[in-house]
Amino acid sequence: MKVISPAGEHIDLLAVNVGPSHPATHGTLRLFAALDGETIVAGQCEMGYLHRGFEKMIEQGTYSQVLPYTDRLNYCSAMMNNIGFCKAVEKMFAVTVPERCVTLRIILLELSRIIDHMVCTCANLVDLGALTNFWYFFNVREAVYKLWEKLCGQRLTNTVTRIGGMYRDAYPTFGEDVLAVCQRIEQAVGEVRGLIEKNRIFVDRTKDVGIVSGEDAISFGWTGPCLRASGIDRDLRKDEPYYGYETYDFDTVIGTSGDTYDRIMCRMIEMGESLRIVRQAVARLKAGPVNAADARVSLPSRERVYHDMEALINSFKLVYEGVRPPAGECYDALEAANGELGFLITSDGGTNPYRIKVRPPCFTQFAAFSDMIEGELLADAVAALGSINIIAGELDR
Amino acid sequence: MSVLTRPDGAATAAVRAHAIKPGLPVADLEKLLIERFAVVRDPLNPWDLAVLVPAARLREVLTFLRDEPALRFAMLLDVSGIDYLSFPGHTGPRYAVTYLMKSLEFRHRLAVKVQVDENAAAVPSVHDLFGSANWAERETWDQYGIDFTGHPNLKRLLNHHEFIGHPLRKDYPCQKRQKLSVSDPMVDQLTARLEAKGFTVVDMGDVHQGDPIAASPGAKA
Amino acid sequence: MTFKQIPAGVSTEVSLGDAFVTTRVDAVVNWARRNSLWPFPFGTACCGIEFMGVVSSVFDISRFGAELVRFSPRQADLLIIAGTITYKQAPVLRRIYEQMCEPKWVISAGACATSGGFYDCYCTVPGMDEIIPVDIYIAGCPPRPESFLEAIVQLQKKIDGESLAEQKAIGA
Repeated sequence: MKVISPAGEHIDLLAVNVGPSHPATHGTLRLFAALDGETIVAGQCEMGYLHRGFEKMIEQGTYSQVLPYTDRLNYCSAMMNNIGFCKAVEKMFAVTVPERCVTLRIILLELSRIIDHMVCTCANLVDLGALTNFWYFFNVREAVYKLWEKLCGQRLTNTVTRIGGMYRDAYPTFGEDVLAVCQRIEQAVGEVRGLIEKNRIFVDRTKDVGIVSGEDAISFGWTGPCLRASGIDRDLRKDEPYYGYETYDFDTVIGTSGDTYDRIMCRMIEMGESLRIVRQAVARLKAGPVNAADARVSLPSRERVYHDMEALINSFKLVYEGVRPPAGECYDALEAANGELGFLITSDGGTNPYRIKVRPPCFTQFAAFSDMIEGELLADAVAALGSINIIAGELDR
Repeated sequence: MSVLTRPDGAATAAVRAHAIKPGLPVADLEKLLIERFAVVRDPLNPWDLAVLVPAARLREVLTFLRDEPALRFAMLLDVSGIDYLSFPGHTGPRYAVTYLMKSLEFRHRLAVKVQVDENAAAVPSVHDLFGSANWAERETWDQYGIDFTGHPNLKRLLNHHEFIGHPLRKDYPCQKRQKLSVSDPMVDQLTARLEAKGFTVVDMGDVHQGDPIAASPGAKA
Repeated sequence: MTFKQIPAGVSTEVSLGDAFVTTRVDAVVNWARRNSLWPFPFGTACCGIEFMGVVSSVFDISRFGAELVRFSPRQADLLIIAGTITYKQAPVLRRIYEQMCEPKWVISAGACATSGGFYDCYCTVPGMDEIIPVDIYIAGCPPRPESFLEAIVQLQKKIDGESLAEQKAIGA
């Protein structure tokens, strides 16, 4: 297309549409860019290709029926969404889950964080042409899937928590299996790090690419590893600890330049830190109940239901109607793999949620993408896009 | 060299986060806002601090929250609309827009809520105060139809460009589907971005939008 | 999918002489096609992640000759739709399908692609056979990798039953 530049020259720009069906855009993102040679002069990105109406669908069913929809938000780390939602509803009830449930949730959260970082990193590396890491990380993901399957029957979209506790307790040898998987994760992370960390091609393609300063990251509402890669050391697990994170020994990982290299490496090292937490959590796993003994959220035991009228009615109402959080609006968040995943839940005191607004961490990341890539090469834009870990299920809801 | 590639080759080149400062207790924060802006606490939120602010004072309040040294609400996490049409016992304006604020220096969190009347559904845009407001406001307009005056690009974000109506409103039927015939060419948006940078588009050239989609003859009717 | 009979004057059977030769040609052509399906992974959502698992070395789709994923429709012959199709995405999907050359097949992977899944709302297409014709449907949310592989095997059986005498054509 013909344009007149700010300096007054008549130049020819090429308008190129990248996506939404494109390997680099993960099938659901679109970038319409004006190129001067290979450099992006201006670009406008578009989303919504996977808008599935989460926020409308959840109004149609009960709170328990929201859980499968939460799995499909960030489907690479489905359990984090389950736990985030349950945590928000439990806050509304002011119900505390038992210690065993807390420890299990921490193990599941951190393992989910690890596998999410694995998908992000290996997909990003495939976009750069480094295909080997995809196999290494996906093999480990399969090991974690086997663990999830043994735990709850599903590989990817688990729906493993319930409001007030868990779907079911972990099987007796769960701790040992988790430690075995941790071994494999550590090995794979070491292998991939060895392949990329000082690799000339990888460093050249990611260093100083897609730089986002700390101030810009804050202004755009970035959270999670992308914010930390820009040098801002904020992590909900340290700032506003929940589930006893303050008692675990781990570090947060901070980058210095906010470029693609830092974002990818932050995730790589964060996986190591998550492993530390998992191992400590497995050591703390003690026997006990996994569901809160609270009649508002948990089913009473079968023995009581058969002998006690109140328990029978409680069970009936919980099965048919589900939980009824007190009326009002409540926001709660946790540190998901991408950043702060929050749920702003409005309850009208009834069985169906009145409104749930998901605060998706990658929404703010993608919103900054158009600004991030202006002036960069198109190939650099592809590298940068992978590093901000856009999961369309969460982005578009 | 970044922190991550320290020459001493530490196995985990990680550092401990700087502890966040506790900041003002919630009660003091509330008192400060009431004194300064005569805000009202939102009765719907007994769990955290949420205040109701008139639309006319929204920009002033958010600027103060962001810049005041004792508060430093540097991050606008999200903008969320809500339709109280079928909320039991609700008597106020039909819509509301909630701004979720977070401080990165102190352990401060705040929800700022603006009530929006059905017949004058407009709120001043804060896209120039917080970069995150741009798309968050766009989404709220897309889903609820609340106008954000001064927003540079109030276009569909989640729904397609031929969509009519605002689906998250309580009176929009959940299953009312709307087909899209042709993808948005996005020429106007790109032109706007170029012009914002000082370019003048003389001739866009051919833009192949593609043929309008029709159902496959072999597909079920 | 409408199958159009090639007019007698140009039918392969007539031009090649007799039925024995045609079936031999069919067998060779079908053998080549079934064992070298090049998928176009139109992965939009969670099923796309499971498809990535199918491609990975544990489940190994390359055992079936289908490892060369091609992100250009011009180079692929198997369109695997893994994920929800929204109305916003529908024109894109249709265009990708039309850009693929014959012969081409379509696998609809997962509940969302097959029927819209549990997203029965204003933005989701209730099954992508509203947009393009489908050969194999896979149930599941997401389907296990074994289901994907079963779908490839079923498709291979379907291809075995095809013949050059019948040309697949969309529309009249």
